[in-house]
Amino acid sequence: MHRDEGSLDWVLALAPYRRDADYLESLLSEHGLLVRRAAEADDIRRQLEELPGLIVATHEALTPEVLEIVHAHLVGQPAWSELPIVILLDRAAPQARIRAELDAVWPGSRHIYYQRPVATLDLVSGVQSALLARLRQRDVRDHIEREVELRRELNHRVKNMLASVSSIFAMTRRGATSLDDFTEDFSGRLMALANVHTAVFEMDGEALDLAHVADLTFKPYRSGDQSRIRAAGPSVMLGREAATTLALCFHELATNALKYGALSVPGGHVGLDWTVSRPDELLTIRWVESGGPPVTAPSRTGYGTRYLTAALRNLFGSAPSIAYPPHGLEFAVSGLLSRPSLNPDARNVLIDHDR
Amino acid sequence: MTDESQPLRIFYLEDNPLIIFHVEAMIEDLGHIFAGSADSFAELKQTIDAYKFDGALVDIDLADGRTGPAAAAWLRDKGIPVLFVTGQEAIADEFSGAALGLVRKPVASADLAAKLELFRR
Repeated sequence: MHRDEGSLDWVLALAPYRRDADYLESLLSEHGLLVRRAAEADDIRRQLEELPGLIVATHEALTPEVLEIVHAHLVGQPAWSELPIVILLDRAAPQARIRAELDAVWPGSRHIYYQRPVATLDLVSGVQSALLARLRQRDVRDHIEREVELRRELNHRVKNMLASVSSIFAMTRRGATSLDDFTEDFSGRLMALANVHTAVFEMDGEALDLAHVADLTFKPYRSGDQSRIRAAGPSVMLGREAATTLALCFHELATNALKYGALSVPGGHVGLDWTVSRPDELLTIRWVESGGPPVTAPSRTGYGTRYLTAALRNLFGSAPSIAYPPHGLEFAVSGLLSRPSLNPDARNVLIDHDR
Repeated sequence: MTDESQPLRIFYLEDNPLIIFHVEAMIEDLGHIFAGSADSFAELKQTIDAYKFDGALVDIDLADGRTGPAAAAWLRDKGIPVLFVTGQEAIADEFSGAALGLVRKPVASADLAAKLELFRR
């Protein structure tokens, strides 16, 4: 997920005396730590940009120029970052004054002091524990970045949902003959959208079984203990968008059947079944009404038919067929499960690839 | 193509079926022709020869990921003018070279009508 320079697991050594630098490098390398040196101002700036896990600085490195370069880096750090700095001072150095000065000039960092000559094991374990603390900062950073990503995704989904509701509103209004009509149709569609949204969310967000989509959409139309819509088919996992679209399509089919079709009379039934043919993985969904009043083709194309046609043509790659034989409405649609819009796995691959 | 009274044939690359449904009706109400739709850049590439259109509306995020900008550039290179239709204005701006302009979501009919006229140039 992150570039190497953001790994925060290496040591930047600021030691102007070559012998000190050699010593630090060999000591820390022996313990498996990656050490990079910097001496020139530009080099120090460049290395700091690549985010060291910590800095080890000798007394001699603490020149006004270096103090200023590190200061500039520290004040520009993101909120999660607190850079550990190990400082090696001579016994004779004015410790208290130096500590006070560094506290003032290097905010947003943790200072660990050692007196030279340093016991090597002390220094190594000090550096290692400071690096561990730094790696926890990296976890915090990753967490924050993930949260920013999630907020962006959430914003996108909310906008998408508002656009969906706005489309349902406008299209319901077009077909409505009275305010009561409009209210009933609009709230029914909104409820279907809300129900499938809840179901997708409860299923951990990304995939839903087709049987579950059918079940939750028809629940409001079930009376007593037997359903007049008989749904049957194998397990087919659908992506979020596909599940939403199918739920809205089932809703349109069910409300149409209740108003005009098989479910408008006591003896009528609907058979909903789906099959997946091998090896091409062609999903076919059929809705067949029976026992209702004699059917005639509608004189005008309403919301339901228009929506089914537009939505399923997009989702399945081919338009559904809707026939009106006298014994009951027949609806069917087919599409390959390999289509990215139908296949949550294909979508997840893309999302992972994006990161 | 310059006759203002001639209807335009419009293709729509978008993965939210409800929005396609709505925009399709808007396009027809404006007296234009809805030529077809696809929900991914991959599908557009496969099926484009089956459609004839004067311009395309393109969303940013499609069923195969954030492929809208690449799809727009691909269409532009084929000489087909594009309008982004999106709620993600910042991203559309980033790729503004690929499109003639931007229609904001939710789509307003008057905005769409005016921007579609850009396809005549």
